[in-house]
Amino acid sequence: MEKNVILSARDIEVKFKVRSRVLTAIRDVSLDLYENEVLAIVGESGSGKSVFTKTFTGMLEENGSVSNGEIWFEGEDLLKIKNDAGWERIRGKKIATIFQDPMTSLNPVRTIGYQISEVIMKHQGKSKEEAKKIAIDLMERVGIVDAAKRFDEYPFMYSGGMRQRIVIAIALACRPKILICDEPTTALDVTIQAQIIELIKELSKEYGFTTVYITHDLGVVANVADKVAVMYAGQIVEYGTVEEIFYEPKHPYTWALLSSLPQLGIKGEDLYAITGTPPSLYDKVKGDAFAPRNPYAMKIDFEQEPPFFQITATHRAKTWLLDPRAPKAEPPKAIRNLHERLSSMVGEGGTYRG
Amino acid sequence: MSETVSTAVENPVETPEDENLFVFVPLEAQASEHIAAPNYSYWRSVFRRFFSNKVAIAMLIISGFIIVMSIVQPMFSGYDPSSTPHINEFETHFNWPNATYWFGTDKVGNSLWDVVWAGTRNSLLIAFVATAITTVLGVVVGAFWGYSKKADVVLLEVYNVIYNIPYTLFVMVMMYILGRGIGTLIFTLSCTSWLGTAYFIRVQVMIIRDREYNLASRCLGTSTWNIIKHNVLPFLVSVIVTTVSRDLPSFISYEVFLSYLGIGLTQKTASLGRMIQDYAQYMQSSWYLFWIPVTISALISVSLYIVGQTMADASDPKTHMI
Amino acid sequence: MRRYIWGRILRSILSIFLVVTLTIVMIYTNIPRKNVFKNDSNISKLVSRPDDYISYTYNIYDRLGYLDYMTQNDLCRLKAGEQYSSCVQKGSAVYAALQKEYEAKGYTFNLFTTGYGWCSRDFSPFETAWNFFAHLVQVDNPNYVQDEDNPNIERKVYFGTDSNGLPALKCSGCEHKYLIYLNGSFPFIHFNIITLHYGYSFPDYAGQAIEDVISDGQGEYKQSQVTFETGMTSYSAADLHSCRYKATSTLDTLDGKKFNDNYADCTNYFTDPSMVSTSYLFGILSLLLAYIIAVPAGVKMAQKKDKWQDKLGIVYVNIMIAVPSLAFIYFVKLIGNNLFQLPDKFPIYGFGDLRSYILPIVILALLSTSGTMIWLRRFMVDQASSDYVKFAKAKGLSQSEIFRRHILRNAIIPFVNSLPSNIILCISGAVITETVFSIPGMGKMLPDAIKASNNSVIVALTFLFTALSIFSLLLGDILITFVDPRIQLTSKGDSR
Repeated sequence: MEKNVILSARDIEVKFKVRSRVLTAIRDVSLDLYENEVLAIVGESGSGKSVFTKTFTGMLEENGSVSNGEIWFEGEDLLKIKNDAGWERIRGKKIATIFQDPMTSLNPVRTIGYQISEVIMKHQGKSKEEAKKIAIDLMERVGIVDAAKRFDEYPFMYSGGMRQRIVIAIALACRPKILICDEPTTALDVTIQAQIIELIKELSKEYGFTTVYITHDLGVVANVADKVAVMYAGQIVEYGTVEEIFYEPKHPYTWALLSSLPQLGIKGEDLYAITGTPPSLYDKVKGDAFAPRNPYAMKIDFEQEPPFFQITATHRAKTWLLDPRAPKAEPPKAIRNLHERLSSMVGEGGTYRG
Repeated sequence: MSETVSTAVENPVETPEDENLFVFVPLEAQASEHIAAPNYSYWRSVFRRFFSNKVAIAMLIISGFIIVMSIVQPMFSGYDPSSTPHINEFETHFNWPNATYWFGTDKVGNSLWDVVWAGTRNSLLIAFVATAITTVLGVVVGAFWGYSKKADVVLLEVYNVIYNIPYTLFVMVMMYILGRGIGTLIFTLSCTSWLGTAYFIRVQVMIIRDREYNLASRCLGTSTWNIIKHNVLPFLVSVIVTTVSRDLPSFISYEVFLSYLGIGLTQKTASLGRMIQDYAQYMQSSWYLFWIPVTISALISVSLYIVGQTMADASDPKTHMI
Repeated sequence: MRRYIWGRILRSILSIFLVVTLTIVMIYTNIPRKNVFKNDSNISKLVSRPDDYISYTYNIYDRLGYLDYMTQNDLCRLKAGEQYSSCVQKGSAVYAALQKEYEAKGYTFNLFTTGYGWCSRDFSPFETAWNFFAHLVQVDNPNYVQDEDNPNIERKVYFGTDSNGLPALKCSGCEHKYLIYLNGSFPFIHFNIITLHYGYSFPDYAGQAIEDVISDGQGEYKQSQVTFETGMTSYSAADLHSCRYKATSTLDTLDGKKFNDNYADCTNYFTDPSMVSTSYLFGILSLLLAYIIAVPAGVKMAQKKDKWQDKLGIVYVNIMIAVPSLAFIYFVKLIGNNLFQLPDKFPIYGFGDLRSYILPIVILALLSTSGTMIWLRRFMVDQASSDYVKFAKAKGLSQSEIFRRHILRNAIIPFVNSLPSNIILCISGAVITETVFSIPGMGKMLPDAIKASNNSVIVALTFLFTALSIFSLLLGDILITFVDPRIQLTSKGDSR
């Protein structure tokens, strides 16, 4: 099914100045976002997931800068925007972000209604009354009961789940093209998590926006994603549809991630964990960044960085194992029959949560 | 997982010479755990940060000089505030600074050089002792106060009653009641400030008492003393140095101001404040008499404060990033 | 919330009570009584006349609350009743009987050289404290007047008009003639119903009631054409609204010409403001100036963090904190004096001249800026990295919009909390600035009182400053509930 590309990031490199040293957080990443699609970016803490998406909205911290690359969106290179004023027409209006902790995303001393309305008034030029009407509609749409009354309440009167719904409402108030969700459910209860994920799914179908999920929770990925990008040490190491990633992963890191699903643990045996820690990105990485922790590492992994090998039209992975010269490597036993194992665990419904 | 590793290694594919790079390498678990950060020593980092600040070094030298002078000089000068050996030798009065009298002479013929250092010594003595008492008492009580929930209830009530009183008023009235002198001044200054320090420490302790790493220590069975020594105190070092660096100039300022008002040190003790008060009238004529004590008091205050602030900054581990 | 406020008020009153009692007890225990007279020139004249000496000193001790002093005359008038005339005779048996009675109560009796008796009883410091509080608040009532020369005075409270035709609540039999009145000066409605009595000042302002000393104007009388209620007009500085009852025996002919009744003890209008007003004036102006300087500076420092504006600001703040205030004041005075020809003492040009105000206000303002600047800077920096600001930015709001609509709202809260205490404490104004510039305000009163061993004033000022401080904190906490929607003061816990 051919879908249009709405955002295309090419050769992105992001550097941070930390004290007197330079940290390269994103090393040469290219990615396309398609219309009406859900992309999940997974990876360990520090892999660069958040930083990468921040480049789309110019929300990098002060000591960070995009040192290379282009981001094409609606016919312009976003990285040419130099000041905040330029970003204001993108943020919230075309590309919206919601963050991890709903408790702190809202200003505690302003009413909920005010915080929704101001976005509508700013981006759509509506009057206060019109904005209020739209806001109340939105609040009802995201599932707030008694929205008209709750319009004038303060955030502390809302529960965590409701606050996250409000945050979603604010983000979607101006019908952006892209919604970036930075670990939106990590701070919520399990039951609320499911609700929020469902809500975002429904809204994306109704409003027709592209969703980018940043998460380290593979269960969420399996639930909602169409495409998955696996990041490690500032690079995308594997990219494909969710089925391809889960059932035919090709990169050893993806294998390791999948093996770490606690649901796959066999009673009586040790749970799997990847040894070691990600490399320091202060220094230039030689070869494959994952090599020191990679049980399938080859000599060449320590010498040269692997290129992307295209597996199918939608699936590519950055590992020397796909090189014709490389010896055959099988994914670990634990994930070889992932489909059957997970299906047998869950039964109907299609959620891979435990 | 080791099973799969050995599987892979067991069956290495035969490779010709130019393809020998495509050979599996066994996983060195230790190497992968290597963390890039270098070794870290707390106190070494503290001093490194402190001494990298040139202004702080300059201030350290200035304050060091003043402190040493004020200790050493009066020991040799033979200056006695109650004796006025030159009172009848009018030509020795009101001499401007010259080669013999580096700071000139005052209205009774004493060398201002002697008087100033004697006065500075008293100011510093009072400030340091009062700060020491305030800090020790404040930290001990504050740490206990922050830790023990029961003590909190009681002490909070006491604090609420006492802290409402304007400090200046408190100090002045107490000095009036207890009379002038070094001892009473030290007592008054400490007596009123330690509770404030204790409250401040209490707040800090409460912040970290319930942080996870302390809960973890408690769960692991670490004794309270060890928790305090290794978890709480290092956190407090920066905080304590900050309060000390604020207290010292504050006390010097109060001594100067109280003596100026006539309720600080007695006539018999040399005091910068009293000098300023006495010599204010000579601002137009022998202005050196007035401005030298003023400058010295400002100098010692500022230099101690900057040293303290830099030290506080340096001892905050957050600033120790490489 | 109501319960909480009452709780706080009670606790505040307890605080004040404790502090003042402690102060009184300590002062009256530690400072020898005699110190009161150490600067009094009258004493030396009286040493040769022991009777006058005793009478003078003991009268003053009585007024100051140290003891109860009664001459034979006083005692007889108090207790003898019909036997008064025989009681006041030398060697009177009636008096002897009274003497026995009062000796049992703890009075010591003595004789003047003339043969007449006197007695006294020392108060314990606790009694002194108790008396202070007992007389502190007086609610004026129609039964106040006890004048034996005017026993049938009409006692009533009634509505009427004052000499300007404005409505007023008047009283006959109270201490004040006008209980509530209106005039053109702030706060427009004035109440005389409740008055505070702090005791009498000695040796400075000898014998005057302290509350008058601090709230009466200073300087010269401000006279204007006044029409008294008898119809007589003359140049007078009298403030007719303040007239108090004057015992009939003390009325003079002039009073009779001016007034129809005994309410002839009126305070005057002065050219210069009272001590309270002076300190207040300086305080408010300097506070305003301080905020005008510090708020933009603090914001700027936060916005330009680590750049030169920030560094400069930090250097300034460090200097202000570190340099002893006295030294700083003299430095600035020097600059003001030499460069701008500004007077270095207030009384040189006095209240009328603008130049007298500049230096003290500027200095007072500068002394208060450092705290606000540092606090505001830290607050702004913290807020800038908070999550809700990040989210607001992601929403597409501009920096100035975020600042104005969100950050400022949060900043107002602690600001408002501290505002009442800043304002009210203006009165205690920079003790040191007033002293250095010789400004006649309340701040200067304290060191003056201490130097003169004027215990009652010290006690009164302690009470005043402490009460103001405590209640301003309470006010701040109440105000904060109006601005911060999260805070609902409850009776549990400490909201500070």
